[in-house]
Amino acid sequence: MIAQEAEYRAWMLAALAGDAAAYRMLLAALTRHLRSYFARRLEAGAAEDAVQETLIAIHARRATYDTALPFTAWVFGIARYKLIDEFRRVKRRAAVPLEEAAELFGHDDTEEAIARRDVNLLLAKLPAAKRQLVRDIKLDGVSVADAAARTGMSESAVKVTVHRAIKSLGEDLERGGDADR
Amino acid sequence: MRTDDLIATLSGELEPVKTGTVTRTLLGATALGLAGSVLVMLLMLGPRHDLAAALSGFGMWLKLAYTFAIAGFGFWLVERAGRPGAPFTLGLRLLMLPVLVIALVAAAQLLAPGADMPDLVMGRSARVCPFLVVMVSLPLLIASFWALRRLAPTRLTLAGALAGLFAGSAGAFVYAFHCPETAAPFVALWYSAGILLTAGIGALLGPRLLRW
Repeated sequence: MIAQEAEYRAWMLAALAGDAAAYRMLLAALTRHLRSYFARRLEAGAAEDAVQETLIAIHARRATYDTALPFTAWVFGIARYKLIDEFRRVKRRAAVPLEEAAELFGHDDTEEAIARRDVNLLLAKLPAAKRQLVRDIKLDGVSVADAAARTGMSESAVKVTVHRAIKSLGEDLERGGDADR
Repeated sequence: MRTDDLIATLSGELEPVKTGTVTRTLLGATALGLAGSVLVMLLMLGPRHDLAAALSGFGMWLKLAYTFAIAGFGFWLVERAGRPGAPFTLGLRLLMLPVLVIALVAAAQLLAPGADMPDLVMGRSARVCPFLVVMVSLPLLIASFWALRRLAPTRLTLAGALAGLFAGSAGAFVYAFHCPETAAPFVALWYSAGILLTAGIGALLGPRLLRW
């Protein structure tokens, strides 16, 4: 059973009876899961479109929710259908892996926001020049050659600098862990 | 449009949903499709001339019971197929029941002493029976697709096949009022062939026509 089932189902039942406030909360909560779900499977622009498509589908087809069945399974069925539809649209014959509703409701975009904030906090401990190098190469996918050209350093110097910076951050994390104990 | 605005718009236009909307859609479509099928049967084939007498025979009731049972489970399966995340393996398993029953009756008739096996299997209309079942089923097939498009099928080939299964069996029920055959082996083979043919057509059309 999905953790959010009871809460979301209660909102859905209220929404089916015409409760707009419950419906708005439900759609906002579902949006967080859908964003994370599509972001991990589609390109950035297509992902937000798919979120909106799915929200519209949920709205237009809400009468097809059988209140005797799990609500999360119903939403997941629609999200997965919209994902397959998007693959079909861009003619990508990608195999859509077998998944269960937990795939959708196990994540939401707050996790990614927290991870991003943690990374930023950690990087802030580095001197500005090193921070830029680590960000370019480890997060933004800039090639070592490009980074070297931009900074005027040699490629091997760039590699060594990034390696040392990551190592020092690692040590920093371990010390933080000791302090917690 | 920003997603937040979309949520505001959707919740702004929210209206209560009446319970039983899905069932009503399907029942309405079935009534229309059935009327169409009866018209096709009456106008293009005509009822069998000895219909009143036939209604007291075992063969007629066997045909009607077999096709009605499959159509009943088929209706339920179409309803499941129109709802995302709804399980339907139970419905598919229950379909085995009428098939099993008619197979047993057919076997009993074939194995009875003095049975005329070729006649029991082929009757007089084996060559046209499956195709006439498909023809009578077409209005029901169109109606079932129309209804499914209003629901939310997520597995389109399967949904199309189930719509075809329902239309084929309900169409075979109507066709039984024209068809003079009464042998269980004939019904088990050729009626089932017509139903499967309609299901196959539904499976082919599903991915094309059921997208939403």
